[in-house]
Amino acid sequence: MRRRFLEKPWGVWLLALGLALAQSVSEILDRVERNLQDPWQAVVQGQIQGPGGQEELKARVLAIPKENLLRIEFQKPGSLEGNFTLITEKEVWNYLYLTNQLIVSPKEKAQVQGLGFSPQGLGDLKGLSERVNLRLVGEERLPEGVAWKLVGRAQEGQGFATLELYILRNDPRPVRFVFRDEAGKVMADLRVVEFRKASLRPQDLKRYPKDAQVVRR
Amino acid sequence: MRKALFWLFLWLSSALAQGRLEAGVYGAPGALAPTLEVGFTLEPGEVYGKLQVGQEGRGALGLSSSLALGPLGYLAYGLQAEAGAGGLGGMAFAEGGAGPLALAARLGYRPKGLFPLFPEEGMFGRLSLRYRLVPKEVVGLFLERGEVLRAEVSYALREGATYTLGAGFSGLPYLVLGWKGEVGEGMEVLDLALRLGGLNRLEAGLYLGEASLFLTLSYPFAGSLGVWLGDLGLEGGYREAPYAWVRYAWRWP
Repeated sequence: MRRRFLEKPWGVWLLALGLALAQSVSEILDRVERNLQDPWQAVVQGQIQGPGGQEELKARVLAIPKENLLRIEFQKPGSLEGNFTLITEKEVWNYLYLTNQLIVSPKEKAQVQGLGFSPQGLGDLKGLSERVNLRLVGEERLPEGVAWKLVGRAQEGQGFATLELYILRNDPRPVRFVFRDEAGKVMADLRVVEFRKASLRPQDLKRYPKDAQVVRR
Repeated sequence: MRKALFWLFLWLSSALAQGRLEAGVYGAPGALAPTLEVGFTLEPGEVYGKLQVGQEGRGALGLSSSLALGPLGYLAYGLQAEAGAGGLGGMAFAEGGAGPLALAARLGYRPKGLFPLFPEEGMFGRLSLRYRLVPKEVVGLFLERGEVLRAEVSYALREGATYTLGAGFSGLPYLVLGWKGEVGEGMEVLDLALRLGGLNRLEAGLYLGEASLFLTLSYPFAGSLGVWLGDLGLEGGYREAPYAWVRYAWRWP
């Protein structure tokens, strides 16, 4: 079967084209990684399909890529205000304001369902690309500038089926994420705004109230 | 047999991979009681045990599990069976929150209370419901049948610090006033609650990270002062008679 496929010239071309496109995706992600080596912060905002239906999401994202630290501070919806998620190399911390608890889970146990998107992916595109089979489909002009458009299908159990990812060409970083379900319905459409390099320390990202109950799972 | 031992070893090594152990001694005039609390985190949840021995002894074995919803919420629930002085007992509990709603509920029975690990006696229960009206305002309902019987409603407003105003009933009506806020640069927290009327009690907690301090003062007179210095817990107080409780906690990994 495999040999017959390769015997046909178009099969070879398709294979070559596929490899080239795959290569350019990993090249783009490499550029993003190189561009985002230093600590940065941004605001992620947009619509999500939360448990209470369509809701507005607004969150401050703080990242120290070299330390593998990413903190997402929720501001909207109101029921999540004061909550934050911290992603470290091995763990995911979720601080819940209302119950004043810090839930610490190993990364593999911390799949986040119910938000319609993967908070982990916001800061770790390489990790996201391991769970979503991304390919480059072209370029698009966005308010921020020309962006590469990558699309891909997620592996099972990610909480979403497909992802559209826009990466700014001049300043390689993600500027928009669109997560969809199996039926193609948008579950989360998030834009990254107010991006800037910032001087952040690991202890700033790991802050939580000293009276919080720490629960290790 | 070997296979069984192998699996037992595997199970034990995973069971002991994460856990906590708290050993202590409780002392009151004429009584000295060692206390032990232990918990192991397993794949489906946690197995925990409590044991207090002395002139009277009581032990509990519990299983708890949890549901984590990432930044949306967390719910823990479990069952506890007890045996010891007075007879058998048990308790069921659930606590956590999801989105704007937080809940803590427990219901149990114990023929005879044994302070400090098993303070309640008879049928005991507690229900706490809190709802976040808007991001900075939370309303709460609290019902308790334990060492005291009481019902309480409260309203909390966060404006920098969190201010709580409430009213309760415990034989007679009482007023609830609370203040909680940061008292340092590093998210150190001071938490004060005052209840006056049918229930008279001042509760204070100061959380500094490596150290935490607790104070309770009640009328009719009872009180306690406790401190956790890292893993060492020291508590002294008065409950019909003076008492002291020293504990040390090990946590792993």
